[in-house]
Parts: sequence; structure tokens; C-alpha cells
Amino acid sequence: MKILRLLLVVLVALVTVTGCNMDLNTELEYGSYEFSGIDQNAGTWKPILIAAGSDISIDPPTAENSPQFLAEVNGVKSRITLMSSDEKKSVAHWTNNSVIRWNEVALGLIAKYNLIPGPNEDDSYTLPNPANPAGPPAFPFAHPPYASRALAYLSVAQYDGLISAWHYKFLYQRSAPYKVDADIPHAYVSNNLPSYPSEGAVLATVSRKILTAMFPLEAEYLLRLEHEHLESLILAGENVPSDLEAGKKIGEEIANIALARASNDGMKNAQAPKAVSDSLRAAAFERFGWQWENLESPARPVGLTPLFGKVKMWSVQNVEDTRPGLPPVPGSEVFEKDVKTLQDYAKNVTHERRRIANFWQDGLGTYTPPGHWNDIAGEFILKYKFNSIRTARTFAYMNMAIMDGGISCWDAKYYYYYPRPIQMIKGFETIAGTPNFPAYTSGHSVFSAAAAEVLTYLFPQEGNVFQKWADEAAISRVYGGIHWTFDATVGTAQGRNVAQYTIDVARFDGADN
Amino acid sequence: MKVHFRQLIFLIGVFCMPYLSLAQTPTDGLMMPKGDICFLFNFEYGQFDHYWEGETLRKNGTIAKVQRRTAMVMAAYGITRRLDAYVGLPYVSTNSTTPNGGKFAGASGIQDLTLGLKYEALRYKGEKGELSAFGSVVFSTPVSNYLSDYQPYSIGIGAPQIDWRGIVEYEWNSGLYLRGNGAYIWKGYTQAEREYYYNDGSYFTSWMDVPSAWTYEAVVGKWFMNKSLRAEFSYNSSISTSGDDIRAYNAPQPTNKVNMDRVGVFAQYFFTNPKGLGLVAAYSRVINGRNAPELSVFSAGVTYQFGLFSPKN
Repeated sequence: MKILRLLLVVLVALVTVTGCNMDLNTELEYGSYEFSGIDQNAGTWKPILIAAGSDISIDPPTAENSPQFLAEVNGVKSRITLMSSDEKKSVAHWTNNSVIRWNEVALGLIAKYNLIPGPNEDDSYTLPNPANPAGPPAFPFAHPPYASRALAYLSVAQYDGLISAWHYKFLYQRSAPYKVDADIPHAYVSNNLPSYPSEGAVLATVSRKILTAMFPLEAEYLLRLEHEHLESLILAGENVPSDLEAGKKIGEEIANIALARASNDGMKNAQAPKAVSDSLRAAAFERFGWQWENLESPARPVGLTPLFGKVKMWSVQNVEDTRPGLPPVPGSEVFEKDVKTLQDYAKNVTHERRRIANFWQDGLGTYTPPGHWNDIAGEFILKYKFNSIRTARTFAYMNMAIMDGGISCWDAKYYYYYPRPIQMIKGFETIAGTPNFPAYTSGHSVFSAAAAEVLTYLFPQEGNVFQKWADEAAISRVYGGIHWTFDATVGTAQGRNVAQYTIDVARFDGADN
Repeated sequence: MKVHFRQLIFLIGVFCMPYLSLAQTPTDGLMMPKGDICFLFNFEYGQFDHYWEGETLRKNGTIAKVQRRTAMVMAAYGITRRLDAYVGLPYVSTNSTTPNGGKFAGASGIQDLTLGLKYEALRYKGEKGELSAFGSVVFSTPVSNYLSDYQPYSIGIGAPQIDWRGIVEYEWNSGLYLRGNGAYIWKGYTQAEREYYYNDGSYFTSWMDVPSAWTYEAVVGKWFMNKSLRAEFSYNSSISTSGDDIRAYNAPQPTNKVNMDRVGVFAQYFFTNPKGLGLVAAYSRVINGRNAPELSVFSAGVTYQFGLFSPKN
């Protein structure tokens, strides 16, 4: 009898456990919130791609007492009464700071496309081709340099578009429908932002356009998101259709300007042909006496984007100004000491070192280190209740510095062509995947230090945290067994240095006066 | 008294990591005498050099051939004539053969503690043979901090599991028997050491939902040599109830939908002297799958059974 009772208790307990479900977040959890300020003067801030927000022109809006406007307001009112439950969800999803939502869309696409092409049956490799994006392999391979660039163009175009929007908002001062008609419910925490042009519409259109250029196979998906976002602006009581039209126009124009820059920034030549890559290798071997080799099976003939170091930078004139000094010569005392350090880490994988190696790994199939820092930035943007233009500014400067850091890092990688630990230490095994490019300096270290430096400028009170994380991200690669200690430490210094160029731009854009 | 350990069934894996799902005895048609205890010491070797990426069978020079060794100790105890309890603990180590393109370190450690109960619901002796039916429930949970998100080298799926199983067996007087069993295996969540992963979309959490699974098994076996030897042939199939596919040339992860069909043979021999001692040996191979390794497994073990509280000799 006792046994039966015990059995029953065990069974009931097990059934209960089976029913447990965890809520797994598929997006940053936030809703509408009160902004710490609305930055009335943001229309005067200095944009990145254009000289001033007023460079993009839109028609003056109809007056608040005009029949056209009142008809629009009435249209909004009746549209809201027809709102479906899916549309309600969409309104809640896009909320009053949609910069973060579009950033999340970008992170998801990066993770989706961050897949390295595998070998063909005959052991050759086919590269993704923008002229035939469906592949296989699909275009793009959203590796960290690609991700840094996609995020930079997205954020910069968003930021510039919003500066233009703010310029006209406060020039025309047209009220939002929920302010004009008390019967129109406002879905979000109210603020005093004039609604012409709609900042949400700027974001929806500019983001769709930039991301479509970066991820051409996602054109339909992105159009759907843009449409949902635009609809939600009406349904939230924020905008009338003419607010959206003006916002979309700004979005279109600034996206075209950004994409014109992108098409000529040198990225299309970054994945150099074998002959170019071989000549870089030969030059390094002649200069330094060493050369990195890809040890994959089958070996990849060309490293990842050998000429990413030649891509046009945002804030640095000449990449060589940021090139670090010579790494330790293999066989030297410093080098041999580092071999011992790496062997020690490999032999004694502590839980803490393993955790750090994995936490910052951001490898294939993930949103990459630039994506990780965007994720981090989002949390602090919410913590400090930034409005959308402050949010866009944060992402813009951070992603400019991250991309510049990546360019500087890649310049060093293919100038020095320095070998990886698995190439130099016999029988060495790693707990992280060794990437297809030279070791010196560590991309993670440069990306992270650059991001942390800009975030420290924008959130000075949190600086210690960012700096600690940047150091941790850097050393994580050494714990993972795929970088030398000096790849990490020199890379961190390089990232901090490169970021200063962007911070110097940020300091004088008018936002921090 | 016969020893009642059966083959190690390494079903329902997550990729490349057939793990001890429910150990052996909870899935077979035999019961322990009350008060008897039986120990199994088993060693197993598994390997694969092809795997199904989604439904496409492929090789991968990054991992070359993956090898997996498991040493396990298990105990079974007859609480009553109709209720058995089981406990098991495996030690697993994995690696790739050299040369390989990835140069990844393997993993090793103590895997999951398994606790199980089996209840005999029915035993009916007819003229031509005997019909029996059983229900079993097996709970397992990781007991070390191994990383499940390190495939294909992870030593386990890193999540608690509960296996609910029904078993029916018919044994003819000739010693031939047929057995069928089916189970629902609930698998909980495993924690990765990263805060973001992709599973047909972004996940901003370190927790991964490991898909639960259904498994079915059909066994045909026969006793020989006055019931000192038995041999079995088995076919089993396991199907995840959810999950994503391994993406092109990418590593598997615990969220993957893992299906596999496997065939196996198993033999067990009981010594008359020394009494209570037995040997088990098994071989199995995955013949079809989705996000699963094309795994071959050899195993061999020793069993020893004796009366714990009432020595019978």
C-alpha cells in the first residue's frame, strides 16, 4: 500500500513536470514607454550622409483646420474601430520606439544568413553571388564584416532620416491625430512630438530599403514588415496617411543616398580572387617570414574578404593610420610563452573560461559580434528611455565605429597574414571554431572594444561595464583556443583607438550640447 | 534466477549523441524477483562519418569521423514481484578522428543520472505461451555541467527527460518471443552558454527547448540452451514532435528535430556457474534519419545478480 502511494506521488510529480513550459523570448521585451526627452532641436543635429536634415525636401502639410486634414483624421478614427486582433498585436509590437524593432529584424537576418558555404561534391567551393542571390549558396554570407556593414548602413540611414524628420516636425508643428481628436485612442505613452512627417514611416521605409539591398532574398518579407509597421502607425492614433507619405519620402531618399555610398564603398571587391589573395600572402611571407594557412578539409582557397581592409571607412581617412605594430615573431620568447598559455587553457578548460568562450563566441549561424553589441546597446537604450532619434544615433555611431574597427582589423589581418594557433602548435585542439582568416588582430576584440568605447561615450555612467565586457569578449577568443593573447590585447587597443575617430564626430553633431 | 538486463538502447538522440535514454531493463519484458539486485557494467563504442542534414545524408571534413565511448554502471532492484526500480549513470567521451578540418576538442564527463520504475500490469499464461504487459517511467537529468550546445561532441542533451512507456510481450513455449513497445519521451529545456540563437527566427535567451519524441520498437527474439542464451533482432523508430533542421554546413543544436530508424541485434548469456553472472553484447545501426548521425554502435557488458536481503544460496 505504501509503495502504491509512493508510486502515485512519483507519477503525479512527473506528469506535473512534463507540463512545465518556459517562455522563450523571440524579441526584446518592451512596450511603449515615456521618453526621457523628445529632443526638439534634433532637426539641427549634423547628419552623417547629408549636410543637414533640410537637404531632403517634403511638401508642407495641410493645416490642422483644413478639410483635407480633418477628413484624414476621421479616416483614422473609423479605421481604428475596425482594428483586428492581429493588428492590435502589431501595434503593440512596433510600439513607440521602432528603431530597436528594425534592429532586431536585421539581427535575425544576419543570423539567418551567417552560414559559411560548404564544399561541393568535388571539394571546390562556390562563393555567394549577389547577381544570383538564390544560389546555392545563398547571398549573402552574413559574416561579421558583412554584418557590421549592414548594421552601419541601416543605422546611419535611420539616423539621418530621423534628423530630417525632426527638422520638419518642428518646422511645421502639425499635431498627431490623437491630439486633434479626443475620440482617437492613442496606443502609446503620449509625448509632444509633432506628427508630420511620421518618424515611424521614415524608419519603416528606410529600414526596408537598406535591408532589402543587404538581404535581397528577403524583399517580400521586408515589404510585409514595412506594410505592417506603416499600418500600425495609423492604428496607434499616431499618424494620418499624409504623415506617412512624407515619412516614406524621406525614408526613400535617405536610403538611396546611403545605398549609393554602399555601392561604391569597395565591399564588392572585398572577397578578392585567389590571385590577389595569394599575392597578399606572398608579400607577408617575404616581409615577415610567416603566412597563415586555412587548415579546413577541403582547404578553402581564399580567406574571408581579404580586401575588407580597403573598404571606405566612416570616420577614418586612412586605414593605415590605425594599423597596429608587428606581432611577436614565431619562435621568440614572447611567442613561446603564449604557446604555453594557450596549451594551459586547452588542457584546463574551467567552467568559467568555457562560459566566457561560448558567451562571446557569436559564431556561424548567430548574429555575430557586431550583432551582439547591437543587442547589448538595445538594453541600455531602453534602460535610459531614449526616444527614437537618440536610439538611432546610438546605433549609428556604434555601428560606424564597429565597421571602421572591422576594416582596420582586416587591414591588419591581411597585411600581417599571421597564423592561427592550430597552425603553429602541433596537435592543438580548440573549443571554438577557427575562422577562415588570419589571426592578428582578433576581430572580436576590435569590434567589441570599438562598440564599448562608443557606448561608454553615450552612457558614461555604464562605462565600466562596457569596458569589462569588451575585455571579456577579447580574451574569450584566447580561451576558445583560436587566438593568441596578443591578437586580443592589441585588437582591444586598436578598437578603442579606431572608435575615437567616430566619437570625435559624435561630440560635435549638436546632440550633446 | 535469470539476469534481466537487456541491450543498451541508445535511441531518440539529439544529433550525434545517442545517450542513454531509458537504459535497458525498463523496456524489456522481464521482472526482477523481489529483493534481488542486479548490476550491469557496460562499455559502448559508437561512430559515424555521415549524418543527415535535414533529410540529406552528407559527410563533413570538419568533423571527419566522430567517435563516442560510454562506460556505464546500472542497477536494477525488485521492490516487489511486480515492481522494479532502476538507476544508471554513464560516463561519456567523444572526439573526432584525425586528421580533421575543424581541430575541435572532444568532450567527456559524467552524463545523466537515470531513475526508473517498471510495473508489471498483466501476466497471462495460456496453453501455447505467455502474454505480459508492462508500464514504465524513467526520469533522467544531467548531473554534471557538461555543455549540450557543443555538437556533435556534446555528451548529452543537457535536459531533464521523462520517458513514459508501454510494453507488450508474447512468448511461445518454444522460447520464441515478440515484443513491442512505444513511448512518449518528454524532454525539457537545456541551457546554452550564449544568450542568442537562431531557431527559424531569433531567440534572445540561453534556454533551448529540446523537442520531445515518440519512439516505437519491435523486437523478435528467442531463448536457446535451456534459457541460458537469448538473441534478439530489433527495429526502432523515433520521431521528434517539433524542432528545426540543421542548417547548411552548420553545426547541429539541441533544438533540432531528430528522427531516426535503427536496426539492432542483441544477445545475452547467463552462466550457470558462477551463478548470477551474465554477459550482454549488442550492435545497432541507424539506417535512416533526419538531423541524425548515421551511427553504428557496439556494446558489451557484464551483469551480476544476487539476492540483496535474502541470500538464496
